[in-house]
Amino acid sequence: MRTSDRTSLAAGIIIAAAVLWAGITSDMSAERLASSGGRIADFLGRMMPPDPSVMPEIWKGTAETLRIAVLGTLGAVILSVPFGLMASARLSPGWLSRPARFILALIRAIPLILVAMLMVGAVGLGPLPGVIAIAFHATGMLAKFYAEAIDGVAPAPIEAMESAGAGPMLRLRYAIWPQMAPVIARDTIFRFELNLRESLILGIVGAGGIGFYIQTYVRSFQYDKAASVTIAVALMVVIIEGVNALLRRRLS
Amino acid sequence: MTDSAIRLDDITHRHTPGAEPALDGISLRVDPGETIALLGPSGAGKTTLMALIDGRLRNWSGAARVLDEPLSSLRAPSGAARAEIGFIFQEFALIDRATVRQNVLNGRLGRTNAFSAFFGRFSAADTYAADRAMADAGISTLADRRADSLSGGQRQRVAIARCLAQEPRVILADEPVSNLDPARAADILTLITDAARQRGATVIFSSHQPDLARRFAARIIGLRDGRILFDRPAGQVTDDDTDKLYRDAPAPQGDGALRLVV
Ligand SMILES: Nc1ncnc2c1ncn2[C@@H]1O[C@H](COP(=O)(O)OP(=O)(O)OP(=O)(O)O)[C@@H](O)[C@H]1O
Ligand SMILES: [Mg+2]
Repeated sequence: MRTSDRTSLAAGIIIAAAVLWAGITSDMSAERLASSGGRIADFLGRMMPPDPSVMPEIWKGTAETLRIAVLGTLGAVILSVPFGLMASARLSPGWLSRPARFILALIRAIPLILVAMLMVGAVGLGPLPGVIAIAFHATGMLAKFYAEAIDGVAPAPIEAMESAGAGPMLRLRYAIWPQMAPVIARDTIFRFELNLRESLILGIVGAGGIGFYIQTYVRSFQYDKAASVTIAVALMVVIIEGVNALLRRRLS
Repeated sequence: MTDSAIRLDDITHRHTPGAEPALDGISLRVDPGETIALLGPSGAGKTTLMALIDGRLRNWSGAARVLDEPLSSLRAPSGAARAEIGFIFQEFALIDRATVRQNVLNGRLGRTNAFSAFFGRFSAADTYAADRAMADAGISTLADRRADSLSGGQRQRVAIARCLAQEPRVILADEPVSNLDPARAADILTLITDAARQRGATVIFSSHQPDLARRFAARIIGLRDGRILFDRPAGQVTDDDTDKLYRDAPAPQGDGALRLVV
């Protein structure tokens, strides 16, 4: 048996065991499974037709989601500059950059929704916990990207400029900045897109934005209204992706 | 006071303490306007010697003057002094995302008003020097292209134009033709030496190709193990001289290796 065959066999056994375990121990009797199809159909039926009367709420929620994403991204950028500098292997000594990178990895490992729940507990309901949660969560990724942008600057053009007599400010302006700026702009826009997407659901835990209405309408059995909001959220994701694809093409 | 463009007396340098010296008692005089080739096997110290003249080497002993300014072993020269010496880097060292024109203008950064340049304004003298350098290098039509959209040969011409725009009185070129086929190599050396002659600049280029050194330099300096083995007018350099330079030399590394057989 070749190594790759043995690996696939082991993987197969593990997957089968996991499915078996999950299926047996979950409370999913055959009857319940069989009847749930009908119930989902019934549920979807009650969502139809979507109720367009919630347009004002959709606009309000969308605007708040956008505000949370903008302010959260701004907070993340402000935090990511110092953390990015600290995490840069080029600029910072190992005793600083290694712990900084480790902390950023920890931050990335905590799901946003969890941070948001904790922040709602700490500062109360509304958009503020959402902004704080986004800023915190996004810094884990953005500061890492900024550090990589710094470390990716090629040293040769800087040395060439120094050799031609350019002072430190001009080297920063003409050798370092043009290498870093497009990378930082691209990463920040990418992170803004993620923030916008992720903040759509923050309202579910009470941290502001359009997600709040989904939660409210589902809890109060107004499924036709929930459907309208869900469609609006899906549309927003599509629009965000389109805009981002355009921007990315221009920045490459 | 001396009239030499470059004057070195007994320069010794080790990259790391206790290592074999990369430069071992080098003494040298170069007159303004001379065209010199540095020949020598890999590790001979060509790059190190040119870095010294460019003011980038620290921790050496001896005395060095370039354009009548003494070099310090401890400190980099002033920006004004560095602007007088142009260096054409083997790997070009361009800003990929900037245009050809901006890359060439970058050669002016040691000459122009730093405050204006920081805000993107260059003087008429700067644009004139950049335009002339691009014309000489045959890249005027590429001025608005981004550097990373160019071929290797075009990128090299941008690097040369940047050096010419600097209007240096000494031009140092580290293996400018090591990766080129013979016809392109001759083109590039013609470009560098002609432009330097028009501007009255001194040229030192390093090479692994004795035939090109004879053709384009008036004087050839043979370097080996950090020492000058010979230093003669190009016409007086014999095959025996160049053979001695490379005989029993440790196998050269990098692109130099292929060129020894040419
Ligand atoms: N940064 C460095 N650190 C340590 N040793 C170095 C360094 N740069 C060069 N050396 C050593 O100094 C000696 C001279 O190197 P140098 O690069 O000047 O040779 P060269 O003649 O330019 O060779 P090549 O033809 O391969 O470019 C070599 O023995 C080299 O190993
Ligand atoms: Mg070299």
